[in-house]
Amino acid sequence: MVFSSYIFLFCFLPLALLGYYLLPGSTTPHGKRNFFLLCISYVFYGWSNPWFILLMLTATAINYFCGKVIATASVESTRKTALVVSIVASLSMLGFFKYFMFFQSNVSLVMGLFGAGPVHWLNIVLPVGISFFVFQGLTYTIDIYRRESPPARNFFDFAAFVSLFPHLVAGPILRYNTIESQFRDRTHTLEKFASGILLFILGFAKKIILANTAGQVASAVFAAEGPGVMDAWFGAAAYAFQIYFDFSAYSDMAIGLGRMFGFEIIKNFNAPYLSDSITDFWRRWHISLSTFLRDYLYIPLGGNQKGSRRTYVNLAIVMLLGGLWHGANWTFIVWGAYHGALLAFERWRGKHSVYERFPRPFRIAITFVLVLFSWVLFRADTISEAGRYFAAMFGLMDPQPGSALLAGEIYTQGRLALMLVCGLLAVQPLQAYDWAKEVTWGKVAMVLPLFGLALATMFVEAFNPFLYFQF
Amino acid sequence: MSKKHILHGFLVAAFLVLLFGVGLSQPILDIVQGERPQVLEVFSAPPTEKNLRAYEKEMEDTSTIVQTVRPYMQYAHFLGLKDLGKDVLAGRDGWYFYKPDVQFLIEPWSGQEQVLAAIRAFHDTLAAQGIQLLVVPAPGKPSIYPEKFSARVQPGHGAVSRHSREMLARLVEAGVDCVDLFTLFEQNSATTSLYLKQDTHWSPEGMRLAAQEVAADLQRRGWVTKGAVKYMFKPVTIERHGDVLRMARSPQILAAIPPESTTCKQVVREDTGQPYEDSADSDVLVLGDSFLRIYERDEPHAAGFTAHLAQQLGMPLTTIINDGGASTLVRQELSRKPQLLQNKKVVVWEFVERDLRFGTEGWQVVPL
Amino acid sequence: MGRALNWRTLRVALLCLGIGVFASCSKGPASDVDDKVTTLGDTEVTAQLEEIKGEFADQTNYDYAFVMKYKVLKVHRGKLDTDTIYVGHYNPLTPRATVADERVKDVGGTLKKFRVGDIHRMALAAPMDDFFMGGIINRYFDEYKGPVYWAHWTNPGVKP
Repeated sequence: MVFSSYIFLFCFLPLALLGYYLLPGSTTPHGKRNFFLLCISYVFYGWSNPWFILLMLTATAINYFCGKVIATASVESTRKTALVVSIVASLSMLGFFKYFMFFQSNVSLVMGLFGAGPVHWLNIVLPVGISFFVFQGLTYTIDIYRRESPPARNFFDFAAFVSLFPHLVAGPILRYNTIESQFRDRTHTLEKFASGILLFILGFAKKIILANTAGQVASAVFAAEGPGVMDAWFGAAAYAFQIYFDFSAYSDMAIGLGRMFGFEIIKNFNAPYLSDSITDFWRRWHISLSTFLRDYLYIPLGGNQKGSRRTYVNLAIVMLLGGLWHGANWTFIVWGAYHGALLAFERWRGKHSVYERFPRPFRIAITFVLVLFSWVLFRADTISEAGRYFAAMFGLMDPQPGSALLAGEIYTQGRLALMLVCGLLAVQPLQAYDWAKEVTWGKVAMVLPLFGLALATMFVEAFNPFLYFQF
Repeated sequence: MSKKHILHGFLVAAFLVLLFGVGLSQPILDIVQGERPQVLEVFSAPPTEKNLRAYEKEMEDTSTIVQTVRPYMQYAHFLGLKDLGKDVLAGRDGWYFYKPDVQFLIEPWSGQEQVLAAIRAFHDTLAAQGIQLLVVPAPGKPSIYPEKFSARVQPGHGAVSRHSREMLARLVEAGVDCVDLFTLFEQNSATTSLYLKQDTHWSPEGMRLAAQEVAADLQRRGWVTKGAVKYMFKPVTIERHGDVLRMARSPQILAAIPPESTTCKQVVREDTGQPYEDSADSDVLVLGDSFLRIYERDEPHAAGFTAHLAQQLGMPLTTIINDGGASTLVRQELSRKPQLLQNKKVVVWEFVERDLRFGTEGWQVVPL
Repeated sequence: MGRALNWRTLRVALLCLGIGVFASCSKGPASDVDDKVTTLGDTEVTAQLEEIKGEFADQTNYDYAFVMKYKVLKVHRGKLDTDTIYVGHYNPLTPRATVADERVKDVGGTLKKFRVGDIHRMALAAPMDDFFMGGIINRYFDEYKGPVYWAHWTNPGVKP
């Protein structure tokens, strides 16, 4: 189920709020409410495919029981074994469901080189959000192992943490030690609820009005056989706006929904297109992922404590795996490698970009262009398609006869205006997360009509995908 | 109660009223209309992925609020953004285009082999029965008037319909006889308006030009000798909004744009004064899509492609017309009605170029 | 932080509202018989929708008929030699009550949507091509060469 859908807004969310706040008190603080959240989160998740519930339940049960063993065992080897079981089971699940088809297609490719036919062992459907809930489950056992947080009070609280519907399928990635206390004790106030509404509406409007419009432009250009140079750059910029306003909107809505149910979820974006270096970009983009990778992968690999060469290797490994986490495709691997190489290069220069002496607007512009190249890899279905697109961007490809028509589709007055709005909003520093902290009459007067406009726009839009659902 | 509480309470109340209001209004309306609330339909089928998607789509599509708001919002989008919904693209100077027509010209397409196989199989089957096949791909509007869609296209532009031209060349190479309307239309597009501004289809002039060319081609090849039936023309002016505008599904948009006025030539038999009618006994069977339907089965009737082709050939024709289904469905219908092929010498097969890629049910080989 | 929410009264009110809404939903099934289903076409059956092959074409810009497979449970009128029939329904994504249009006038019914396993009471006629001059999506084309029925009228049915 996606947040920007009729069924979510007018059926699921009202019933979820109604049920949650109608629940009578409980002897365990929030026990009944956590259980209720667990139930509706499973409905939310199962809505995409009911069979996926079993997978999430299995992953949850394994991590819960491993966590229990880690928390109660006095022998270190037992604790370590339980942790290894948790990690291996979780990553095996992720590996099988997310990467088996990729593995199979690559085996077919190699077999093809030797004249053999393609192999079709299995046909695996990728469960929605598996990358998110597997990572979240892992933070639980690792945090307990590190003695950074206590185990969950009971299975239901833990299952509710893993499945908590606001952030379940597209993040932010919650780390158990940052939110476990909220499952024991959280407050529900009108102020928090109202602030959640502000943030939810902003995210919803960003998604419907900006991300979808930019997405239509990007889709048209990326689908074109031979876009012209200007069209290709415009299309890449449109995709950069789409992915930012889409993903950050999802995070805003997730955080807003969390507040409506009493939770405080961490900020996930901080004006990433204002970054003046790639290092800076990764401090501002998908913060919950980059901090996860830092704390659960980069630092355990040795971080920057084992010499400069090892630091670069660690960065490269982290970004490669970060790329692979996004999707089972060579394009994501190359995307990760590209960012890893840029980060390692900046690390080699003492976390400074090669253009650090330029005025800040230039630094921001150059960083944006570097990120833009990576989005081409991210958006393309194959490496060769990405290569074709880069060729179009640099005028190395003959435009196709029909490509002149593309201009008529993408440079309409409305789309140009909305792309300009996207550009302006992307480079202003105030973030929805911070803006929505305090509710004022002025903000209310702004967001309520905005909500109406976004809802009405949703009713006429046929193009309404959520990009991060595929991860 | 503090001012802050009033503010927070107001926002929360407004948000909840909107959510619950829209959410509850539909079941209440359903009950008032004496129907079981649609929201309960979720319990009436197993919760499979397919059923849940269908339920979700239906909830939105049939929601009274969505249906009420949608046309107005589409109109607002049209006014503010020149956006007419998923199927329509606004061009220049009051021209509107059907999106798949444009997509076909811009995007890559790799279905050539399937099309070739289907057409060749049909050609060979007919040839085995001694029947000639003449294939007539109809150019889409943006192929002929790309400058009406994009300002970037300069006057005197080259051909933009690469896929269709390549397909034509491959068909000819494979021994299939074709009529090249692309070149003909491009040569005449500056002097005559060959397409309707608000519609996907050709204008009466474009249609007549095509019919003349097909008739001349059939006679040039010696496949058809001119018959003895005399027809005359009766001018009829029709006024209507084109199908592209109607695809926006907003009465407000239709009210804001005046309908297009067109003068058609209705084909009338000289001997009876009756409008043209098909005949199952004809030597010529014409298969095609809505390019054949317009003016013929729609108003003013008997003024479309087949009537004008019949006038040119001096004989009534047999037809199978199927909107959007000229790729496969017309041949399936022919397969179900084999009697239509009896005594036939020629089959003329028209399909719009975009259906090379988007034809309903693709391009299947259909045994006759 | 603000004052904690206390919605006890609201709880009771909303619960009553919910019960009221659901209680009022318990309507009995409508009759499957009307004067159209008993008179249109030359055959009238109660049949179970056995298969919808593939997805309906979501072509809102074209009108078409879609052929579905039925298991006949009872023949009310006319004669059938087989208990499996193939029936073409006009614009299947549209509720039958509103499906008739300028070109295809003699279709309708009270059925809202087509779902495999449901029982329908239908007024039929064959062959379909004699009654419908338009696009027929027949995915049984290769495997079944017998008559395809045209559904004039379709109501939700009850098991005989």
